[in-house]
Amino acid sequence: MKIAYKHLVQYIEEAPSIEHISNKLFQLGHEHEIDGDIFDMEFTPNRGDCLSINGLLRDLAVFYKVEINQEIYTEKLNELELDFENLSESTCPKISFLKLEIDQIPEIYTNSLDSYFTDLGLNKNNFFTDVSNYLSYETGQPTHCYDASKMDGKLLFHEVEKNEEFKTLLDKKIILTGKNSVFSLNHNVINLAGIVGGKSTSCSTDTKTVIVECAFFQPEAIIGKSVKYDIQSEASHKFERGADPECHEKVLRRFIKLVSEHTNIKDMSIISFEYKDNPIHQIPVNVHKINQIIGINITEDDYLNYLSKLNFGIDKDIIKVPSFRSDIKTQNDLAEEVARVIGYDSIPRSEISIPKNEKTNHKDLENKLRLFLLDHGFYEVINSPFVSLPAEEAIKVDNPLDSNREYIRTNITNSLLENLLFNERRQKDSIKLFEISDIYSSKSCINKKRKISIIASGRVGENYIDFSKKINKKYLEMLFQEILPNEAFDFKILSRELLDTKIKNEIVSLEVDIHKFPDDILSYEEISSPPDNFNEYIPISDLPCSIKDISYSVKDFSKIKDLSDLLLNYQSDIVKNVFIFDYFKNEKTEEIKIGFRFVFQSKIATLTASEIDMIYNEIVIKSLDIKGITIPGMKKNV
Amino acid sequence: MPENNNISPPELIKDRGSLHPINHMKDSIMDLLTSFGFEIVNGPEIETEEFNFDMLNIKKSHPARQMHDTFYVENKSNLLRTHTSPVQIRGMLEKKPPLAFISGGKVFRKDDDATHLPMFHQVEGIYVDKNVSFAQLKDLIYKIIYSLFGDDVELRFRPSYFPFTEPSAEVDILSREGKWLEILGCGLVNPVVLENCNIDSNEYSGLAFGLGIERMAMLKHGVTDIREFYKSNLDFLSQFK
Repeated sequence: MKIAYKHLVQYIEEAPSIEHISNKLFQLGHEHEIDGDIFDMEFTPNRGDCLSINGLLRDLAVFYKVEINQEIYTEKLNELELDFENLSESTCPKISFLKLEIDQIPEIYTNSLDSYFTDLGLNKNNFFTDVSNYLSYETGQPTHCYDASKMDGKLLFHEVEKNEEFKTLLDKKIILTGKNSVFSLNHNVINLAGIVGGKSTSCSTDTKTVIVECAFFQPEAIIGKSVKYDIQSEASHKFERGADPECHEKVLRRFIKLVSEHTNIKDMSIISFEYKDNPIHQIPVNVHKINQIIGINITEDDYLNYLSKLNFGIDKDIIKVPSFRSDIKTQNDLAEEVARVIGYDSIPRSEISIPKNEKTNHKDLENKLRLFLLDHGFYEVINSPFVSLPAEEAIKVDNPLDSNREYIRTNITNSLLENLLFNERRQKDSIKLFEISDIYSSKSCINKKRKISIIASGRVGENYIDFSKKINKKYLEMLFQEILPNEAFDFKILSRELLDTKIKNEIVSLEVDIHKFPDDILSYEEISSPPDNFNEYIPISDLPCSIKDISYSVKDFSKIKDLSDLLLNYQSDIVKNVFIFDYFKNEKTEEIKIGFRFVFQSKIATLTASEIDMIYNEIVIKSLDIKGITIPGMKKNV
Repeated sequence: MPENNNISPPELIKDRGSLHPINHMKDSIMDLLTSFGFEIVNGPEIETEEFNFDMLNIKKSHPARQMHDTFYVENKSNLLRTHTSPVQIRGMLEKKPPLAFISGGKVFRKDDDATHLPMFHQVEGIYVDKNVSFAQLKDLIYKIIYSLFGDDVELRFRPSYFPFTEPSAEVDILSREGKWLEILGCGLVNPVVLENCNIDSNEYSGLAFGLGIERMAMLKHGVTDIREFYKSNLDFLSQFK
């Protein structure tokens, strides 16, 4: 909600700066941004009472001398004769109507009404709607204006539960479905209560006689309707958060005053219907409890002074909650009021000591397994549980984000297979992944299983021992047998037949209930450990990689280290990775063959062959500077 | 002719994998909190409305219920939990105070954009004992934040609103760039919630807090797009060894 600084400060005696008010609003918990002289406020849902100039001023009164002195019409009003019936008193326990007839429709606005449209840069609609909108901004109470000339017949407030087309005053056609609270005239819906009025009875720029409706609607009758019908409604935003049931007469008298400041009123009358008492909520004064909750030590006088400034009534040992504070029910609520006034940051810390019992860590087995897999080059992944295709016993989401996420997965392997193909498309030729997750299914009831799934394909590893070996079922079986010799795991080979890929490497997977994993894993002595700190992430490139291998023949074995140091630590913006993929010592020829793989990738653009060659040649030249090293088939000056 | 032809082969660099950065962050926070005395409790991701909302004082008519925008399943008989708080409700129903629980895991809300995902992770904690105060909550939050971000980080508490805590607060830290960043929500357990769990709110009070793991991981690692965590991209994952 946008609120102009000047609209607030005019009621504050100290005339604080916008920054000063801003700080106080933050202290009170009212988040906002400042755009020029405008506060763009975002209130917590429990503070519907703050959605207005007066609402904010009531809160700020705890820090400043605030005088809310808007004039109202004070003369006696005639009783309005209105054929109205309320068939849903529990939804609308209080409602008032004001009828006004004016001489002339004003062409220009003055005072606060003018300031409202000018300072907030708002568009005008018609006179009565403009007054209504301003009044909502000033007091927080939405009102609805009917053109009285279009209101011939019996007005009914009731709940309807039938499909019916309704055209809003903004010309939007909606189909009412389910249960709705509406106003009807001659059996036609003319107003979706608390949300938006209808076109058929709305005011226009010609309207001279208006019926203003001022009501209290129970929030639950309003909640969700504006979203359901895709209607931006400030009124519903306010009613959803709770309006003040006791403000109607004052608001309607203010309406009269604002109109009278602009034109002559020929006739006016008012009627109110109250179907249920709205007793004042009372809470005993208990400063000891307040101090205990917050952990401070304020005096009762200070406590009551704070509440008094916030418009709470004090009657001996009783605190009377103002009608606009429907969020205040308990001592904890009052404690929050005090804490806000003191300022959360001004409340001193008090040493906390939580008794330490003997705690068990149920995740030992799971953690051990994760580290075992890390040791063997597996990466942990986390996948979304939402999938498109139903499986047997899959749980269906009633309100999915889209049709691709209609079901909850019944296995992890399919997710891992997608992850594997994703990485294959990114030119990864050694892929080992695992995920541990709860998996749900439903038959007669919802079942949960905690599972681990692993998937692997491609080269065993990126070093000169593992590079030429391919991952297969036997490799994984042997890996697990190392630590769990007494278990036979049911590794599966996944077919590539239906997959969108030309790669032929075997895909091996395993999915198993984690609680069935043998405890023997607990004795595994892992090498890996979780990182001690949190690495600064370097953004990755989505551009394609290029691979270049260089194979050397080394006669002077002492130069192997020099060569490795040079190449493995080679610095270039486009060298992404270097590793030794081949190493062979020929005892007969007294020669070592060593191969280095370079992976090139740019973060800026796809690399051209000449860009790669430039770095590649630089690497070759520098490496051949080392004596006793040759590249078979290549002369040094190449 | 080389003088030494008995040279050993180059160091064999074995590929090591990595923990997922979100799980690593979650584990780090859980380890920290268990060192403070909290006990880990676990609960289901598919919950009932009763445990996810009603027991936590989130009334059917309450705007907060609309805020959550929940995924319902099985003809609205259940839902995907929108927070890990129902685990604490289950814990409080099982054990008597004093009690100190933490729960961490996946939660689900109907969002999907560059800053929000339909699935994300939370760690929440609750401590119920006699005379637990807001001042003690502040002390605990300072200890958590200092442990995670260092003793020199500046933090502030702002009043906020959660139906299950009263008073409620959100806590921000000041970034290196001078911007306040929201880190966690916390408050004193609403006495209504204690009573719902058969705990006498005249005798006991409690504190509760919750952290979004993705938010913490993004801050700690400098990841700017939350979606990166869930692409399972080996180039991304290999940075978190």
